[in-house]
Amino acid sequence: MKKIEEAIIPSKPLTRESFTMWILLLVLSLLTIYALATIDYTSVDMGKAMADTLNNFKTIFFHPAAHRLSLWDAFYEVLITMGLAFLTTLFGGIIAMLLGLLAAQNLAPKQVTNIIKGFVAFIRAVPSILWVLIFAVAAGLGSVAAVIGLTFHSVSYLTKAYSESFEELDRSVIEALMASGANWWQIIFQAVIPSSVSSLLSWTFMRFEINFANAVAMGAAAGAAGIGFDLFMDSGFYFDLREIGLVTYFIIAFALVLETISTNLKSKILLKKA
Amino acid sequence: MKLELGVNREFCEPLLELKHVTKYYHGAAPALEDINFSVAEGEFISVIGPSGAGKSTLLRCINRMIEATSGEISFDGVLISKLKKRDLRKLRTRIGMIFQHYNLVDKLSVIENVLHGRLGYKSTLAGVMGRYSPEEKQQAMRIIDLLGLHDQVYKRCDQLSGGQKQRVGIARALIQDPKLILCDEPIASLDPNSAKIIMDHLRDVSAQMGITVIVNLHQVSAALKYSDRIIGVNQGKIVFDGSPSALTAEKIAEIYGSESNDLMVELGERYAI
Ligand SMILES: Nc1ncnc2c1ncn2[C@@H]1O[C@H](COP(=O)(O)OP(=O)(O)OP(=O)(O)O)[C@@H](O)[C@H]1O
Ligand SMILES: [Mg+2]
Repeated sequence: MKKIEEAIIPSKPLTRESFTMWILLLVLSLLTIYALATIDYTSVDMGKAMADTLNNFKTIFFHPAAHRLSLWDAFYEVLITMGLAFLTTLFGGIIAMLLGLLAAQNLAPKQVTNIIKGFVAFIRAVPSILWVLIFAVAAGLGSVAAVIGLTFHSVSYLTKAYSESFEELDRSVIEALMASGANWWQIIFQAVIPSSVSSLLSWTFMRFEINFANAVAMGAAAGAAGIGFDLFMDSGFYFDLREIGLVTYFIIAFALVLETISTNLKSKILLKKA
Repeated sequence: MKLELGVNREFCEPLLELKHVTKYYHGAAPALEDINFSVAEGEFISVIGPSGAGKSTLLRCINRMIEATSGEISFDGVLISKLKKRDLRKLRTRIGMIFQHYNLVDKLSVIENVLHGRLGYKSTLAGVMGRYSPEEKQQAMRIIDLLGLHDQVYKRCDQLSGGQKQRVGIARALIQDPKLILCDEPIASLDPNSAKIIMDHLRDVSAQMGITVIVNLHQVSAALKYSDRIIGVNQGKIVFDGSPSALTAEKIAEIYGSESNDLMVELGERYAI
């Protein structure tokens, strides 16, 4: 039915909105070209700047080396960053589990779900780094502010994800179990969570990966220690390009390992369920 | 035993009794209006009527999935309209329910879905942990065998056919050890063959286990073939209550109103199913 409809409708007509969009894009491109053409570079030679940048990249990526940090130090620092990601995902996951139950339309009254969904949408709208800085006012810059801020954002992200996973189980199924005398908590643990466990895991791993990336940034931006802080020191204080390269490779390697572990774990759990 | 009760139902303590039950949703017209009837133990009752007549509402008022606006419903000597949450839970364990769309947890296996029928008997903690006793598991296996699902025990429910799913639904209701089973259009989504299997199972449940069955049906022919008694509902009122043999063409016309013309064809195959 849908296919037929699509076939009948000719190519998209030029509506008022798309027209405005095109005009906007055109104006923006013209402005960009104008700005690039007339910008005052003063003493910067564009060609040389490009070449230097590429040269720096070459040093970073092709000649990584340890000066300040031993390999073991770097490894230990990555572990700290991992710990930060793990802790924030764990705290966030536990709180989001409860909020997610209350935000799922098949489990809670509409007013409650609306309030919680609105609340977490507001938290999510503000970037995590901003939350960290906000909490830094109370806790001071450092790991405490980073944990609280990242947890805060994880809660809002996971609440949305979890509640949508819970909603996969139809309300009528829950009513059927109610009709047999089962109570709310029994239904949650015996029907709702088993039905959504694979999505819950996927979202949690996803958030863990995001939190790992955030934790690196927090090390640099909020002084939350870990590998991000070393990256910040190497680039901002020691200007040690080779060590930046090393640290970058370490982070990439860890991210890959995380990805592999999470993929394996997910498929194992899914297999067990099937 | 069962026959005796059926014949002498006026003289026995009824299992279920509805008195002046009325239900208003938001609108001005009631979905149910002054419903009165009583049900003896072991009876097989079909409720028929056009779409929107209030059949589902009637069934759901009995286990209080919907709260009746007024009237009294008593089940097994207990006035259920007054029950507190906890006692209501206890009461619901003795009333099984079967649905048109099965309402199983699709991602769980047959046995897990069947065992869900025991949750109402458990403490919150035992239910949350999913602790089922060996007897409960054996009983689940027996019922699954009885319904011819032994090859499907560990299959996920989303891999079953409609007829098999509905049998799981019956098994989930049976393991509750119910005195009454309510069925809301159990065969409306099934092909004639599966429908017959389901209706046969329901009849066996009633005849052999002595469980009372109330079933909402769209098919008059099935109601005629299987029930001890038929209740006809139209616009929230009972317009017929009697044995299948008393259900004449005029009565059917009265129950179904303008819809009845299509049904006359079906009635031609009165005992066809
Ligand atoms: N949740 C509800 N809110 C408001 N009105 C409702 C609700 N459920 C049912 N109704 C109304 O109550 C009346 C009876 O509905 P009910 O579902 O009991 O009919 P039914 O006989 O089961 O119909 P069908 O054969 O189509 O299932 C209908 O007019 C319907 O619109
Ligand atoms: Mg209905």
